[in-house]
Amino acid sequence: MEDVLTENPPPSRFIQDDLNNFASPPEPLPSPFIVLSNPKPDLPLKPSLLLISLSSPSLYIFHSLPSKTLIGTLILPELPVSGNTIEPSLQDKSCNIYSLSNDNSILLVSVQLPVSPERSNLVSRLLVGQDIVPERVIILDSIQSRNFRGRLSPDETLAAKLETSSEKKAAATSRLNLDYFPSGSVIDGLSASLLSRCQLKNIRGTLVVSWPEFDPSVVRFLGALLKNIVPGLDVASVGKDLEMYSSRAGLKKDAWVESDLYT
Amino acid sequence: MEFVVEEGKRVDEECSTLILPALSIGNVGQLAVDLLVSSTGADRVGYLDDPYLLPCVGNDAYGPLPCGEISLPLEVYESPSTATTLAQQRSPVAKGMMIKFAENIADFAASSGKKHVIVLSSLDFQRLHHNLDMSRGPQVYYLSNAEANGRDEHCERLGFGRLNEYDSEGRCWKYLCSVFDENCKEELTFPSEDELEDIDYYPSLPFAALFSAFKARGLKVTCLLCYCSEGDNIPDAFLLTRRSRSCRLHVGSCVWRLLFHPPIDVSNRVSSMK
Repeated sequence: MEDVLTENPPPSRFIQDDLNNFASPPEPLPSPFIVLSNPKPDLPLKPSLLLISLSSPSLYIFHSLPSKTLIGTLILPELPVSGNTIEPSLQDKSCNIYSLSNDNSILLVSVQLPVSPERSNLVSRLLVGQDIVPERVIILDSIQSRNFRGRLSPDETLAAKLETSSEKKAAATSRLNLDYFPSGSVIDGLSASLLSRCQLKNIRGTLVVSWPEFDPSVVRFLGALLKNIVPGLDVASVGKDLEMYSSRAGLKKDAWVESDLYT
Repeated sequence: MEFVVEEGKRVDEECSTLILPALSIGNVGQLAVDLLVSSTGADRVGYLDDPYLLPCVGNDAYGPLPCGEISLPLEVYESPSTATTLAQQRSPVAKGMMIKFAENIADFAASSGKKHVIVLSSLDFQRLHHNLDMSRGPQVYYLSNAEANGRDEHCERLGFGRLNEYDSEGRCWKYLCSVFDENCKEELTFPSEDELEDIDYYPSLPFAALFSAFKARGLKVTCLLCYCSEGDNIPDAFLLTRRSRSCRLHVGSCVWRLLFHPPIDVSNRVSSMK
């Protein structure tokens, strides 16, 4: 029987520091920033569509897309870049920004580095509303089992969405045909911060959360979803290394927990 | 902290009483605000965007079915029939930033013309060092800035118990006062976590930071508190909800009807998540 005095409280309850006015504040950190390959960029970038991947399946898809151009990267100063390769790799701790078109009308952001909840606000401001002002945002993340009130079976593929008010008002044919994320469960971290930013800025935004965290079925599902949103997207090559992907070690899983910040 | 009005909505300046939760054991303050939003039919009018609030999003917090109405970490509702503004907080403040957060929300309340602020919070029953008088049922305690010792005649007449543990001369209470009061000339040191004693429990709680911040901005502030333990805290929330309605300065006939209305079954709707 678990020790009720020492076990961690359930997600809706607080830890001691949450309720302590005199808890020590963290050491201040330099702000994150975006570096673009164009030395004289015309800021802010104004894509019609911004796709942001945080989940392992979506990062795999973005990485596999053949015709994309690396145009910049977001830097979190507290994270070392040692170990990153010159050519983008799924093992890198990076947040690269790609363009799918010459006019930067469709941008992809692959968030392969751990962003703590405390830093999420600053990162989301850069990506939505500051250096990049998109017309529409689609964020791809995994369902967080710690915040989900219900059972998640490892054998069942699930996907759900949350939308901003302006996305809800858009034409039904342009919106993603997914069930809504159930009430009572929450999503936190960077994807929540990004969607919140879209709501505050009155931008069309959709957060798609999927389950399981690592599974070829989710890769196929998201590939089809993205093809629906961007018909010209070449997802044919995405499935080539799918079996290798499903057994690959080192892919992001609750990556912010593994961050050097928490060692 | 930025107040963002929801598209198509307008702020009603007559809603001059602000009710908000302080993060506390059992999420009681947040549950109580959920009950108030539900029972008054308050309409969401906007959001508060604060850099010190941790992010979270969810589906509609009040309907039985997930209708896709997004919920953000800090939302503002208005109930014109009760002239009340309700701010609901759904996620924690970043560690060590509670004082900054309290300052920001006090700035919002002052700049938006609020006249009275009611903070709802719970206290840990296990930190109590005296027996509670339960002869009249569960008791609500209060702390007010109406008088220097925390007393308020209006709350006394309503039968609330004064929070005797409030000591305006206590070092942590004085420290809180000094950080929010621009005119305070006394330089007090930040109490380190190792130095804190049992008596410092109350001023260490979020409600104390909010109380001190609103007080420093010249707003009338009343904290309503109840003791509880972690568990099923809905009954505690109902208690605070009923008492908060009677605490308001201007009590119209619709509010009296709400006071005596049977408790609403929101067991499948209350979803203060963090």
